[in-house]
Amino acid sequence: MADPEDTTATSVNEPLDLVRLSLDEVVFVKLRGDRELKGRLHAYDSHCNLVLGDVEETIYFLDDDDPDEENIKTMKKQSEMLFVRGDSVVLISPQAPS
Amino acid sequence: MSFFDFDPAPPQGRVGGHNASAPGFGHAPDPFAFARKEDGGDDDALDFEDTYDGLGTQLDEAGDAFNDDTFGAEQREVGRDFDFSGQTAKVADVFQQEQMLHHPGQQLPSSTLPKPATRSSRSGYENYAEPEYIPQLEASASIWGLPQKRQAAERPQPQGQQSYGAGAASSRKMMSLEEVEAAMRAQSRKPTTPQPPPHAHQLSAPPPIIEMAPKPGALLQQGYTSPPRDSQRPQLPSEQRHSGTRQPPPPEAQPVPPQVAQRAGSAQPPPHQPLPQPTRILQNPNRLSGQGQLVTPPMQPQLERSGQPRMEPPITQAQQVMRLSEEDRTAFLAEEAKRAKRNHKIYMLSKDNGLMTPQDKNFITRIQLQQLLTATGNVDDQGPEATLAEDFYYQVFSQIRGASRQTPHFSHFAQTYLFQTAGRQGTNRRGFRGTGDNHMQRMEQQVARAVEAAKLKPKNRQLIIEGSLGKISFSNAKTPKPLLNLKRQESGDAKSHTPRKAGVTVADRKATLRDVENVYSILMRMEDHERHLPPPPIEESAPEEIQQHMEWRQQVLRLNQQLWRALKVMEPIVPNSQTPHPFIAILSTPKGKKVVLRLFRHLDDQQRVTILTMIVIQLDTLDVIRAPVAHEVDLFSNAVMPALFGYVADAPLNIVIGLLGLVVDRVNVQMIVRTRIGVGILTMLISRAELSKQGVLEAERHQWNILFNQLFDLVEPMLPYLFTGGEPKTREGKSPDDVHVWQFLAAVGVGSTPEQQQRLVLGVKDKVMETVGLGRSIGGEEGEKRLAEVNLFMRAIGLDVGLLG
Repeated sequence: MADPEDTTATSVNEPLDLVRLSLDEVVFVKLRGDRELKGRLHAYDSHCNLVLGDVEETIYFLDDDDPDEENIKTMKKQSEMLFVRGDSVVLISPQAPS
Repeated sequence: MSFFDFDPAPPQGRVGGHNASAPGFGHAPDPFAFARKEDGGDDDALDFEDTYDGLGTQLDEAGDAFNDDTFGAEQREVGRDFDFSGQTAKVADVFQQEQMLHHPGQQLPSSTLPKPATRSSRSGYENYAEPEYIPQLEASASIWGLPQKRQAAERPQPQGQQSYGAGAASSRKMMSLEEVEAAMRAQSRKPTTPQPPPHAHQLSAPPPIIEMAPKPGALLQQGYTSPPRDSQRPQLPSEQRHSGTRQPPPPEAQPVPPQVAQRAGSAQPPPHQPLPQPTRILQNPNRLSGQGQLVTPPMQPQLERSGQPRMEPPITQAQQVMRLSEEDRTAFLAEEAKRAKRNHKIYMLSKDNGLMTPQDKNFITRIQLQQLLTATGNVDDQGPEATLAEDFYYQVFSQIRGASRQTPHFSHFAQTYLFQTAGRQGTNRRGFRGTGDNHMQRMEQQVARAVEAAKLKPKNRQLIIEGSLGKISFSNAKTPKPLLNLKRQESGDAKSHTPRKAGVTVADRKATLRDVENVYSILMRMEDHERHLPPPPIEESAPEEIQQHMEWRQQVLRLNQQLWRALKVMEPIVPNSQTPHPFIAILSTPKGKKVVLRLFRHLDDQQRVTILTMIVIQLDTLDVIRAPVAHEVDLFSNAVMPALFGYVADAPLNIVIGLLGLVVDRVNVQMIVRTRIGVGILTMLISRAELSKQGVLEAERHQWNILFNQLFDLVEPMLPYLFTGGEPKTREGKSPDDVHVWQFLAAVGVGSTPEQQQRLVLGVKDKVMETVGLGRSIGGEEGEKRLAEVNLFMRAIGLDVGLLG
């Protein structure tokens, strides 16, 4: 099937190949609607649908009482496993182990 | 000829030969036809010349010679009777009889139509009243097996005889049917109605009425097909009654003279009036079971009246049943019961009959089959890969489970499905309907076509319109439209690869991740390749198969080499490097750890020992030893250690010695011994050596002893710190799990000399006492566990926890 010299099957040929490198790693995902996720990437597909594990979701929102720009609040949620539909994904970034 | 030369205005007072005859075919022949030719010469010609355009003369009169033939003018008698329907009706009788013979089951419909026939006798169909007519009826009635017990009137009726002969013959075949009816009637009647006394005698006034009764069949039959009838029956060709009045009865029709006589006796004009009612009811006693009881009595007189033996009486009456012999009757009744049961069953089953038309069924079947086709697709074409692609995880799962992976061939499935259906329907229907098979055949053809179409369809997944810049790709459930159409560029591979290959292995994180992915890709290819293992070649297998197998094995080798390279085990070790060895880097990622167990299957022994060696040599650079993180450690001990242990467990002593030597020489033992993984590896090696020490050369054992002593000396100062020293406190508040330490101590203790054991005990005495005390104070399960752990070590050196305190 493959030619014998094809040892570099995972070289980067398309953007999503970069995402592949982050499989099973902790990634940072930015979503539409002022949300961010941080979790271990278990799976993805060409639509950027993602499956994340041990996810921390951060939601940014303005406090209704005081519509100042300064007054941005965050809300955090923890999820053991999450399926993220690709159409809301803005960016995926590898999260360097801290 | 004369037929066409119509003269619109004949000369006054004269009747043109043609004119008279032309208007109607059936018209009486022209009396002047013969005269016209003679005198046509003078007067007529003049007249015509004067008043008319002379068209008449142009006509060819010579052809008139056959006018008579054409119009049948010579036979004067013809003329009156136009009643063809009468003839037809007579023929219809015959037809009906024949029909009855061939389709005994169909007598039923006639029950609905009798009325017009019987009633029609009023409306000018006088032959009903005629004596000759009745015989026909009677003859037909014989079909029904109704006893015709007329006393013989002495006037023989040829028609009747003939038809009766036919009827009698048919009656035999009808037996079963009549039996049914008779039985039904008998059953319904027997209990309730006592038999009326036999009637007086044949020729009394009532007889006519009664006499008609036996003929319902005939009547009905006639009515069924052709209500109107006529007295005329001149030209019935072949059938028995063909020459009703004229011909003498053929001898073979005679077997039943008495009946004929009866009929004749009864033949009197008046009787036909009362007919309609009884006949109809008689016709199907089953149906009108309620009425049947009412009506039956009038019939019985007949029966009684006719004391004459019958040749073969079809059972239509209860009396007949009674007359049967005992066993006959029981058999008959049993059969009837069976029949009734079956009828009931059919009735129950047929409750919903006709809900769907054949078209409906056809439609639904088509939909179902199409769904089948699209759902399963053309698996046949693509083989196992397609199934894998469809359902990878299930397939792999079932493989692991050892379930036989059977991919039923769809075409087979469709065929069997269809054949079964066809067979079932065929047997069901063949009896009454010939169309069933046709229908199924059509269905099969449709399916075959559908299969063909579905096979062809996916092949053109893309449409490239000429002159357009792009292509249109179709998508369906099986092959979704590809959203990204990126081609893998082989040149790009080389480019991206070269720097690392040539370079000094700048093992940054990204490179490591890339390496891991690389390993995974190749590993998956290998696993995929494994699934395509061709059948093992045997002696007589075809050369292609052997060739196939050889290629497969070569491919395995190639992939193995790729995998080996991708693992980067053989990359040179750079001493004192800041960055770990690439293989160790791979092992530092969770997925790198997970892959080890999986890929060990695909490596040969040499490669395995190489990996083991590499790990042992760089033990202190492993992330799980340098900076152990709880879950990483767990992962390593769950994923990597079993692989290593699986190899070591079978390793000969010299390998173990070599590995331990590496540990002692190259690795910071005092560091690794404080980590769980390090302790684990040491335990693994020592315990294996203990087991394999027996039966090896003295030199090897000696070598091992030296090595062990070295190790012991290195470990001894660390003994008090073994416990939970280097381990992170995974579960705060709980004392960490020290079982691996006790295992290590036990392994060491077993291999130690008594003097070493003493040192060992000294080193860990505090911990032992502490743990034993703790275990006893805790008690319960937890305490027991602690004590058991300690005991693991104590037993190894010949002691027991029980001896303490």
